[in-house]
Amino acid sequence: MSKSIWEYCQERLEGELNPQQFNTWIRPLQGVEDNQGLKLLAPNRFVLDWISEQYLGRLQQIVSDIRDDDFQIRLEVGSHSSTPAPAGNHQQQQPEKSAAAARPLPQNGIKHTNNLNPDFTFDSFVEGKSNQLARAASMQVTENPGSAYNPLFICGGVGLGKTHLMHAIGHAIQQHKPGANIAYLHSERFVADMVKALQHNSIAEFKRFYRSVDALLIDDIQFFAGKERSQEEFFHTFNALLEGQHQIILTCDRYPKEVNGLEERLKSRFGWGLTVAIEPPELETRVAILNQKASRSRVHLPDEVAFLIAKRFRSNVRELEGALNRVIANSNLTGNPITLEFAQQALKDLLLLQDKQITTENIQKTVAEYYKVRVADLLSKRRSRSVARPRQMAMALCKELTNHSLPEIGDAYGGRDHTTVLHACRKIAELRGTEHKVEEDYNNLVRILTT
Amino acid sequence: MNAPAGLQQLPLAFTLNERLDFNLFVAGDNAAVCGRLQELAAEGRGQVYLWGAPGSGRSHLLQATCQLAGQHQLRAAYVPLAQFAAHGPGLLEGLEGLDLVALDDLQTVAGQDDWEQALFGLYNSLRDAGRAFVAAADSSPRGLALELADLRSRLGWGEVFHLQPLADDDKREALVRRASARGIELPDEVAVYLLRRTVRDMAGLMAWLDHLDQAQLAAQRRLSIPFVKSLLQESAPPGPGAD
Repeated sequence: MSKSIWEYCQERLEGELNPQQFNTWIRPLQGVEDNQGLKLLAPNRFVLDWISEQYLGRLQQIVSDIRDDDFQIRLEVGSHSSTPAPAGNHQQQQPEKSAAAARPLPQNGIKHTNNLNPDFTFDSFVEGKSNQLARAASMQVTENPGSAYNPLFICGGVGLGKTHLMHAIGHAIQQHKPGANIAYLHSERFVADMVKALQHNSIAEFKRFYRSVDALLIDDIQFFAGKERSQEEFFHTFNALLEGQHQIILTCDRYPKEVNGLEERLKSRFGWGLTVAIEPPELETRVAILNQKASRSRVHLPDEVAFLIAKRFRSNVRELEGALNRVIANSNLTGNPITLEFAQQALKDLLLLQDKQITTENIQKTVAEYYKVRVADLLSKRRSRSVARPRQMAMALCKELTNHSLPEIGDAYGGRDHTTVLHACRKIAELRGTEHKVEEDYNNLVRILTT
Repeated sequence: MNAPAGLQQLPLAFTLNERLDFNLFVAGDNAAVCGRLQELAAEGRGQVYLWGAPGSGRSHLLQATCQLAGQHQLRAAYVPLAQFAAHGPGLLEGLEGLDLVALDDLQTVAGQDDWEQALFGLYNSLRDAGRAFVAAADSSPRGLALELADLRSRLGWGEVFHLQPLADDDKREALVRRASARGIELPDEVAVYLLRRTVRDMAGLMAWLDHLDQAQLAAQRRLSIPFVKSLLQESAPPGPGAD
């Protein structure tokens, strides 16, 4: 098959530009050929302006190399949804992947998609002491949407399952009433869509759309704080839905009254229905979450591994899942079964979190303390064994744990030559193989310095 | 033939653009993350967060991921936030329509309210649409100076990898491979010589490689130990040292 003009342009530019320029500016463009020429779609104004200033001239030149006629290149912001999907990818989600579906901005003739995540159901929600009440209230809402608890306000810290519960309610309502119009979105998407609607003079449609849904699910409403125009609009939407007995579900990272920058009238309305809190899960729930997630991924997770992860990652469910994802990914990639030792190895960097910087000074101080000598001795010219060995150890650790050059390391030890550093590293490597004590000292020091 | 003393060939200000792909990356202890990123670039879905010291290969891996995604006919963007932090988050608009977004140097916008909100929105949209999100920074999600706890917890949701620094042997290999991709013949012993006598971080080593390339063109000499030695004696080390 012959190359399209855009493919030809990309190939030429990939050879001419440095990889970063190509990956940042050219790769995200979409080329659509029509009878007027080549239309290049940029994801946003910023990219469009950049292309126009930096690369449009060159693109025209490239095109004129292969086309004699007056073939024009036009730049637009947007995305063309009919790009053929790559084989084997995204099949199940393809219908939802057009730009219009990802953003529920109401437009004439566009069928709205609810954005509900199919994985977030009541079945996949792991119940524990920390979330019992919230789950029970959510179940109640699905039985009597619009009347039992309206609005249902779920609050709790990040990553504890608020969004999961909210989607679960959405799915259940839809099951009870097929065809129900359910809209789920993040509050900042509500704000962004409203701003767009204002810009495009389609605010009336925006209002009509949000005021007509059967259930409106808005996540993280703390992001409404300080956005007065959006709060105003949301206030009216809220009233209209409540009046028509349509269900409203909101989540927030704190209680309504604690959100600064939120209008009082909204705070008080949020309290009209039921406010339930989700607490961080306790150990048993964390283990249950991991087991459930593993079985959904069809992975065998031994109990001791589930406990290892659950004990070390306690603050929220995302962190917990992140750690499990990491173990599963490593296991898939290496083909090794998940054992306690394997999990410890896979999570080593997450567990240690070597955020602290290892410096030459720190190594000198730690080694000096360990061998009970003074840092000044390490830097001195003395060559007695009691000082020389710790000095060599410290130099070897500097080479291993820092990125300093050998001359720099030599300098940091009283202006020694880089060959002295090289000698020290070789000496320690040799002694670690022959003297148990040296190996033990080395390992102890690495542990002290890296945890 | 060597140029006569005092008369040097002026090298063209032109460097061969090597492709920052996975073949050029020396994985060392980072084989798992390389494998995962290649999967993600082929599927156009998933979430990976990389962190590591400067020179640990973050930018290279991110760009290799975009490059591979392109080969799979996916639309991808590499966004070096450090360069555009001052322009505001308008750069992120509409990126949720792509199949894969790779954000580099997250730490440079951490703590800036408008950026954090835009990143949060982009993350949510990509995740909701089942697309791929890769981010890199100099510290773990917990270590980033983020104001928005929601963003922090989401960054830690996928797979978080700490890039391990390369051992010296791997650095030598990386140097030789990179040189060869640029059409520079760098003998092994010269690479070892450089590693022992100059810097040991990859960014610094790459800066030396550029420097040597220019110098050998100017002097019209091969890269040999005596030649490199003479360069080390006469010139200050090129930047960047640490990064």
